[in-house]
Amino acid sequence: MRERVALVTGAASGIGAAMVRELAGRGWTTAGLDLAPAEDAHHSVGVDVADPAQVSASIRRIERELGPIEAALCAAGHYALVPVSDIDWGEWRRMLRVHLGGVVNVCKAVAPGMVVRGEGSIVAVTSDLAIGGGHAEAHYAAAKGAVIGLVRSLAVELAPAGVRVNGLAPGPTDTPLLSANSPWRRPSYVQTLPAGRLTAPEEVALAAAFLVEDATFCTGEILSPNAGAVI
Amino acid sequence: MPVALVTGAAGALGTAIARRLTGDGHQVALNDRPGRDVSALAAELGGVAAPADVSDPAAVEAMVGDVERQTGGYIGILVAGAARLTVAPFAEHDLDDWWRIIDVNLGGTFACAQAVLPGMVERGGGRMVLISSEWGLIGWPDATAYCASKAGVIALTKSLGRELGPLGIAVNAVAPGAVDTPLLEVDAAAAGVSVARIRSQYVGRTPLGRIASPEEVAESVAFLADARLPTLLGQVLHVNGGTTRARA
Repeated sequence: MRERVALVTGAASGIGAAMVRELAGRGWTTAGLDLAPAEDAHHSVGVDVADPAQVSASIRRIERELGPIEAALCAAGHYALVPVSDIDWGEWRRMLRVHLGGVVNVCKAVAPGMVVRGEGSIVAVTSDLAIGGGHAEAHYAAAKGAVIGLVRSLAVELAPAGVRVNGLAPGPTDTPLLSANSPWRRPSYVQTLPAGRLTAPEEVALAAAFLVEDATFCTGEILSPNAGAVI
Repeated sequence: MPVALVTGAAGALGTAIARRLTGDGHQVALNDRPGRDVSALAAELGGVAAPADVSDPAAVEAMVGDVERQTGGYIGILVAGAARLTVAPFAEHDLDDWWRIIDVNLGGTFACAQAVLPGMVERGGGRMVLISSEWGLIGWPDATAYCASKAGVIALTKSLGRELGPLGIAVNAVAPGAVDTPLLEVDAAAAGVSVARIRSQYVGRTPLGRIASPEEVAESVAFLADARLPTLLGQVLHVNGGTTRARA
């Protein structure tokens, strides 16, 4: 029997790395795409997810070597706190190319095969900021909001083929994306969260594994392990 | 392992949830209203029967005490699914029956949450999974009371998520779409069509092209009952094959 193959972007750190570990623990063969080496993945490819040609070439190679990708999880992203008047066009464009483009590029490469095989699960990481908005992160929130629109639309388009597309909208999560002096780590903020702490990447990974393996009647759904940041 | 109290356990969905949680290693306490016998299922699953009308707060409190005495444990998981569904055009819906639906579906959920709360507070944690409905989000003709009650469950989930989160108690909801249970007969009778016809109507409006099995809804309940997810709280998980696509 061929092993089940999962593709994870942003697999070198934070939520993506936790997803790789969670899925590997459940018997999946994992392929990680990231700018940095994804050390926990069975197979690591250095890729900028914003580049469609790099993404499609690497996914073709992964499928040739490991077999068809049954689950694609898009966690690659970056984050910056910038007041809206200071967001320059380059930063704006980069934010959209990485977050929205990263999901688009992966979906374009994996969805056709999933449709032919009549099964597959795509999970995109968005953010509570896409739902509740935030202060000085308009480009990030806009990119993540666009990911939600993409998830809902692909969900409808791919559902007849039995392919499910869902999203995860974590709250502030304890990953390298939040610097040590990030306002999201301040005790005065954390204590406003109903859960009283940041979300752990492992919890987001558990939710991702649920969406991939067990949420067989969920599509177009956004699951929010967010410590209660947005309810 | 704490005891899991499942209300509405005689129904197809409640039964599937009870089986799933038993499979996860929980001892289950099975509630349904007197006259809907769950003792055979309780015996099969190694759980206890906990009959009570959830719309009667005193009966619920007594039932919770009885469960704790019978099991020697405490209720660390509440799955509140007991529900009443009758349908009628709004103008014709008998007011007593209308309120009866609210009292069972929303009032009963409140009563159960309140009754298990002291035990969870004492132990410093717990999980509540409240069963809402797709109809609580989008509304449905001739089902005003049911829809209002299930929308109320969503607001209750969000409020309790905020209020009880700091106590280590995670409250979430599952909002199923059409599920393949005998409850479809109620919908079919109301629409004046066969069950096969109502099923095909629901299938036709669902992107995944089918309706849910009780077991896959139970899977979502089990996920929200997972103690490893303390920061998942105050959320509504829509298990509906893509009909609402995460709306609100």
